[in-house]
Amino acid sequence: MYTNRAAGLAYVSPFLIGLALFLLFPFLASLGLSFTDYRLQDRWSDAHFVGASNYVEMLADVTFRKSLWTTLVYVLLTVPLKLAFALFIAFVLNFKLRGINFFRTAYYLPSILGGSVAIAVVWRYVYAGDGLINQALTLAGFATVNWLGDPSTALLTIILLRLWQFGSAMVVFLAGLQGIPQDLYEAAKLDGAGPWRTFSRVTLPLLTPVVFFNFIMQSVQAFQEFNGPYVVTGGGPIKSTYLLPLMIYEEAFKYFEVGYASAISWFLFVLIGVITAIAFRSQRYWVFYAQDRERAP
Amino acid sequence: MASSVELKAVEKRFGTFEAVKAVSLAIEPGEFAVFVGPSGCGKSTLLRLIAGLEAPSKGSIHIGERDVTHVHPSQRGIAMVFQSYALYPHMSVAQNMAFGLEIRGMKREEIRAKVARAADILQLTELLDRKPRALSGGQRQRAAIGRAIVREPEVFLLDEPLSNLDAALRGQVRVELARLHARLGATMIYVTHDQVEAMTLAGKIVVMNGGRVEQVGAPLELYHRPANVFVAGFLGSPRMNFLEGSVKSVHARQVVVALASGPVLLSRDGAGLVVGERVTLGVRPEDFRVLSDGSLQRSVSGGAIGGAIEGRLVLAERLGAETLVHVGLDTTVLDTRSEAPVIVKIAGDLPAGAPGARLRLAIDPEKCHLFDSRGAAHRETAATEATAKLPVSA
Amino acid sequence: MRVVAPSAPVVLRERAPASLARLRTHLGPALRYSVLIALGFLMLYPLLWMIAGALKPNHEIFSGIGLIPQAPTVEGVAKGWKTSTEYTFSTYFSNTFRIVVPKVILTVISSVLVAFGFARFHLPGRRLLFGLLIATVLLPKSVLLIPQYLMFRELGWLDTFLPLYVPSAFATEGFFVFLVVQFMRSFPPEMEEAAVIDGCNSLQVLWHIVVPVIMPAIISVALFQFMWSMNDFLGPLLYLSSVGNYPISLALKISIDVTEATAWNEVLAMSTLALLPSVLVFFFAQRYFIEGVTLGSVKG
Repeated sequence: MYTNRAAGLAYVSPFLIGLALFLLFPFLASLGLSFTDYRLQDRWSDAHFVGASNYVEMLADVTFRKSLWTTLVYVLLTVPLKLAFALFIAFVLNFKLRGINFFRTAYYLPSILGGSVAIAVVWRYVYAGDGLINQALTLAGFATVNWLGDPSTALLTIILLRLWQFGSAMVVFLAGLQGIPQDLYEAAKLDGAGPWRTFSRVTLPLLTPVVFFNFIMQSVQAFQEFNGPYVVTGGGPIKSTYLLPLMIYEEAFKYFEVGYASAISWFLFVLIGVITAIAFRSQRYWVFYAQDRERAP
Repeated sequence: MASSVELKAVEKRFGTFEAVKAVSLAIEPGEFAVFVGPSGCGKSTLLRLIAGLEAPSKGSIHIGERDVTHVHPSQRGIAMVFQSYALYPHMSVAQNMAFGLEIRGMKREEIRAKVARAADILQLTELLDRKPRALSGGQRQRAAIGRAIVREPEVFLLDEPLSNLDAALRGQVRVELARLHARLGATMIYVTHDQVEAMTLAGKIVVMNGGRVEQVGAPLELYHRPANVFVAGFLGSPRMNFLEGSVKSVHARQVVVALASGPVLLSRDGAGLVVGERVTLGVRPEDFRVLSDGSLQRSVSGGAIGGAIEGRLVLAERLGAETLVHVGLDTTVLDTRSEAPVIVKIAGDLPAGAPGARLRLAIDPEKCHLFDSRGAAHRETAATEATAKLPVSA
Repeated sequence: MRVVAPSAPVVLRERAPASLARLRTHLGPALRYSVLIALGFLMLYPLLWMIAGALKPNHEIFSGIGLIPQAPTVEGVAKGWKTSTEYTFSTYFSNTFRIVVPKVILTVISSVLVAFGFARFHLPGRRLLFGLLIATVLLPKSVLLIPQYLMFRELGWLDTFLPLYVPSAFATEGFFVFLVVQFMRSFPPEMEEAAVIDGCNSLQVLWHIVVPVIMPAIISVALFQFMWSMNDFLGPLLYLSSVGNYPISLALKISIDVTEATAWNEVLAMSTLALLPSVLVFFFAQRYFIEGVTLGSVKG
């Protein structure tokens, strides 16, 4: 609207500078580092170009493979479950209930607080040997479980931590559900559609943009989960909760293998990128946009 | 202080789209000019060019004696009333009106005085402390006008100011605007798509179509002597009826036009017409007379019978004071293109006529309009041609 | 819709569906409410437990799942505040705010400026840049971590708060810019055109007209950034080495790192206090959160 192009550029300039300094440059530097043997305390002159050896080593590294596997399991479990649960609760909430705001708040609150250290700390406490969960189990007559100490259950505590935070996805679904015009439901009722058919043929298709958005956001976030493993389990026991972001952190800042860590981080980036790209491509087949989408300006 | 506005060969292109094609226009100081035309004709763009919200691709714009083509909107001496009023929602009416003056650095007492005066003219004084959301549509519009008046501009620009009001209010505000213009004596340029507003408010109408000016002139001038088919069809409701035909014969004071429904005799000077030329005959609904068997009826405009065409009654819309009669024409020649029913406006009611009843329509030969194959009006004498001159287009 | 033939059996048939329908309409809400309440209780229990634990003496913590402390005490809060380090939680809280406040302020300013540029100006390559903006939201930040650290090391900014809030001055969090852009675009530009005619340059239009009108979006941005920054752990972990610089997130972590038996009531007390600002802000400004989330997602 304003004709002064120079002013426009001036307004956007912080972003342009930030883009170059804090995004593009580190992005490329990270790639570059992954081809070196740079260690954290080294002088720059001590770094050598080692070609793809970091990547080769990475693929052969048992710890890396286990971490990758753990991460994939984590994402494959949490994302669909979280979305399904969020959608379900949003659906249940989406009626003229009294106190809908109260419930919405109650479910949303954990997701606001959930990423914090405080909650991770509480989680450790809740799942401790004589913590809340085990106490409840005892009361109910079940045996206690060594949640945090048993490699087969430790990941579950982290998964549950993430699922507990379904509130933010739920709020988005709720907004999406409330955006579906009431007339469509009435028309469906007149057509004789039962509740399941209404849901699968009317509600769900119109929700696909929101589902898509949530899917992307949740997946990207899930792949980058750090606080949970770090604070609650420390990555253990026996690396059973050693997610990739944690491995990257430890390789770089505990073992000082910056080159190696960069390689892993780039692997993770490409992995996320590929999945996101596939998801975007798949849009055409299952995401239904009711109006013409306003593309970027 | 009212100024003139002059546009010289102004063009505006958006990418490859030509929104305004070579428009030249002169508006006198104190004149109420209305730009009218269908959506997309370029009238709003032209207004925005005058305001300075868009820069012309070619040509120049003058307000008063100054060339303002490259002058910032706030320095052009204009004030604009937007279609959506564009009131600042977080400010009261008084603050809205004062804003422009504050930016200019005017003293507070002076601002207050001007705001009070404008509020008084528009009866906004009790509403001055309210925010826009606490006002009705009509009140908001007055506030928007107040904001414009306070600036004491040389030219007022109004962009479809009535289109957001409901029908009842529209009539009322139209009258108020006319009164305001008389009171302030300001130059006003008004954009609308509604030809009724144009006809009633304008001192000068500028009819636009597809980025071009079709005709400029006083309302009645354009109504009675349209320069082309577009202007003829645009002004007047119901629309002028157009009948296709060709020139059969040309005489000193008569022209015979062969229509699909038969020949029609027109008493006009046939100079400039060629026998066999395709022409369009334009007759306004009120210029027909309905002759049914046995009784003669006066058309709304009276006058002699110059030719008659036959048809069947399709529909009669009885409005009380008048009736709109839709007449389907007989075609003596089998035409692949079927003619739409002719609409006739008669005073009072149409006595007993069931759909399908035969009707004869008389055309008043002095009230017809003849348009050549390109749609331009055929003018009769040199004298009349001079007064009906088309505006100079580059 | 099935057409019921008018005959004697109609009476019976009509009655059955009616009562079933009535049952369903009563059952529906009842079922819904019970699911919601049960779930709500389960969801909030860990939080309630945490608050309860903060008020219990240490030996009571692991003795049961009841919420009401048998011997309520503020001992946990008092001792926890003093912490077993040389600093108290006053220091840690003040550190947190010294990070969060500049971060929020810088984010708001830069996001509004950049959004204004995107929303209202014809920029060369606007589409590409906006696409990049959206990409930054989806970008996995983990790949940038190491080089950013090295960069700040070269600048000598390690163990200061600078790396934590300076990047916010550059609108690098695309989500916020996107939010403000969408909000700005929901207002037609006529108001700003009126301001231009009134004599404003673009900055004046921004300040006098645009900012007051987009205030809800600005508040949403501020609130979200506040919440996210309060919870930020990895950033401080990476850049802050002296305990005296620790914000609450790091202080909490070290409180459970102690090798002797952890005084859980103290830890829980401090956790509760750490979450308190976020919870308070959330309760008072819920509306902006929900609107902000929906604006960014459903309309995006």
